[in-house]
Amino acid sequence: MKRLFRLATGPEDIGRSPGFWGAFAVLILYLFASPLWLGEFEAYNISFYLLNLPLALGLCLLWGYCGVLSFGQVAYFGIAGYVYGIIAGNLVGTGWGPIAGELGGLAACVVVSAVFGYFVFYARVQAWIVPILTLVLTLLLETFLGQTAGYQWRVGNVQLGGYNGMTGIPSFQVGNLVFYGYAFYYFVLVAVVLCYFACRMVVNSHFGKVMLAIREDPLRAELLGYDIRARQLGVFVLASVLAGISGLFYVQWGNYITPSQVGLVSAALPVIWVAVGGRTSLLAVAISTYALNWVNYSLSSAGNQYALVIIGALLVIVMLFFPRGIVVMLAEAGFRGSLARLRAALRLG
Amino acid sequence: MEDLSVVVSILYQFGTNGAFLLLCALGLIVILGMMNIINLAHGELMMMGAYTASLAYQAGFPFPIAVVISFFVVGVFGAVLERLVVRRFYGRELGALVVTWGISLLLSQGTFLVLGPFLPSIPIPGGAIDVGQYSLSVYWLILIAVSAGAVLGLAWLYNRTEFGLHARATMQNAEMARALGVNTDRVYMLTFSLGAGLAGFSGALLAPTASIMPFMGQQFVAPAFITVVVGGASNVIAGAVGSSVLLSLVRTPVGFYLGAFLGLVALLLAALVIIRLMPNGVSAYFQRWSDRRSRPTV
Repeated sequence: MKRLFRLATGPEDIGRSPGFWGAFAVLILYLFASPLWLGEFEAYNISFYLLNLPLALGLCLLWGYCGVLSFGQVAYFGIAGYVYGIIAGNLVGTGWGPIAGELGGLAACVVVSAVFGYFVFYARVQAWIVPILTLVLTLLLETFLGQTAGYQWRVGNVQLGGYNGMTGIPSFQVGNLVFYGYAFYYFVLVAVVLCYFACRMVVNSHFGKVMLAIREDPLRAELLGYDIRARQLGVFVLASVLAGISGLFYVQWGNYITPSQVGLVSAALPVIWVAVGGRTSLLAVAISTYALNWVNYSLSSAGNQYALVIIGALLVIVMLFFPRGIVVMLAEAGFRGSLARLRAALRLG
Repeated sequence: MEDLSVVVSILYQFGTNGAFLLLCALGLIVILGMMNIINLAHGELMMMGAYTASLAYQAGFPFPIAVVISFFVVGVFGAVLERLVVRRFYGRELGALVVTWGISLLLSQGTFLVLGPFLPSIPIPGGAIDVGQYSLSVYWLILIAVSAGAVLGLAWLYNRTEFGLHARATMQNAEMARALGVNTDRVYMLTFSLGAGLAGFSGALLAPTASIMPFMGQQFVAPAFITVVVGGASNVIAGAVGSSVLLSLVRTPVGFYLGAFLGLVALLLAALVIIRLMPNGVSAYFQRWSDRRSRPTV
């Protein structure tokens, strides 16, 4: 237990002081207690903001901590969602169909990302090739899913549905307990908090240190005896599983998925969450993901033809003026400010 | 006669696929080779080319003039883009990818908001000629010739002009080139502008074969990127030509027998296998071969 806590408070994320952990505990308690006064609809919305967090954390690990950029994380989001829909949809009424669906969805993510990653990382390609090929993969997936309209595109009794997407996907269920409304909220909340701590432990573990070494200097890391190809592949698969978890939650949340979830716009979103938050901090990414999803949700109910322009402009502005991310830069400014205040107080005393 | 027409038809299929890939990728690979930057707004620059061509064509210019206008308009836009944004990202290739992606979203949706969902399309110039039982589009034959011409033009530019000399010097060793008095800043700007202009040129040329919409750039993105990944950045011309020939050999039969979508999938699979064998692309392979050949024998 102590060892786990030490791992979680290690140096590789912002927020390590006792004050921070106090505030963090209050936040978690607040989130756990909030269904007491939130309506079921609001709890449902909050589960949507939360369910995108694993996707963003995975990209943060990959890009910020390992130095491998992927534009195609939503491909795994979509793969997990569709596979879950197919498996759970065919096992409706058995009680354990959704669990089989979740396992199947994540297994599909692992297989696809491992095969794809093998070709990319074991070829030791240059850094710019990975984002390009992952983007192409997700665009092809969108094209493929878009042309699956019609009765011939069905697996068992589930239709893929072309551009209208797959509908009627079952909610998550264990035995007779169906997760929707508040139950789904708690399900997502617990899973997301666990994902965050797991990621934090990974980056502070020995594996995480090697990951950082690869980001800083791949050649040097390799000369120290680490197989960087295997490590990069490992992180890539881990990130794809995290993206798959988000995809599972998404289909369980809305009970549908469309090919546009793996399209160009959706592919841009995780990159923006991570860039705005600051890719070198899991916590900053979690904050920005939650905030941007909330903003996006509010904006899109007002009409979303400007959404793409706003996303694009945000991306350009952040990359030009806040290259390390808005949340990270704010946090550092705050830290420096309090340090300066402390020094001034000491000098006075 | 029957056999001959089959051969001609197969060559035509390979040729059109190769020309398409070459046109898609040319602007991208010029920029990549020089600055090691992938311009993700490439598809949108092609879209701008198509838009410019369509507007110029509606204004009464003949189509070839409209294509030339597109080249210059998008080229100037590229120079502005380089000055304002891209130059801050030299040496940070992942940052450049992300920022140009933002630009691409801005451009496509901005075009949609300003100019609406589509522009009137340009009729395909030229008719068709019959070879045996097959009918070949004259316009695509022209495109094959034009893309070959563009490659020859680039080869001339890189190997026979002062700009080309400076550009190759900057590619090999930017610091050394600067020390010898090459204005590398200007070389970067001109190269980016040239790449953008070529994207506009290709977009204008492909405009009659596509519907002119704000999001038309997306359909060029996948083939262009795959071609560039396979081509690599070591030698612009060898990369572009080698990779489009190689990929056309893959795409033509698959696309012919199994449909356009699986043709595209085959391109991605081929790219994965090719980079596994040649991580730095076809061009690095070619470069090594030509280096070995040009080494003086002792």
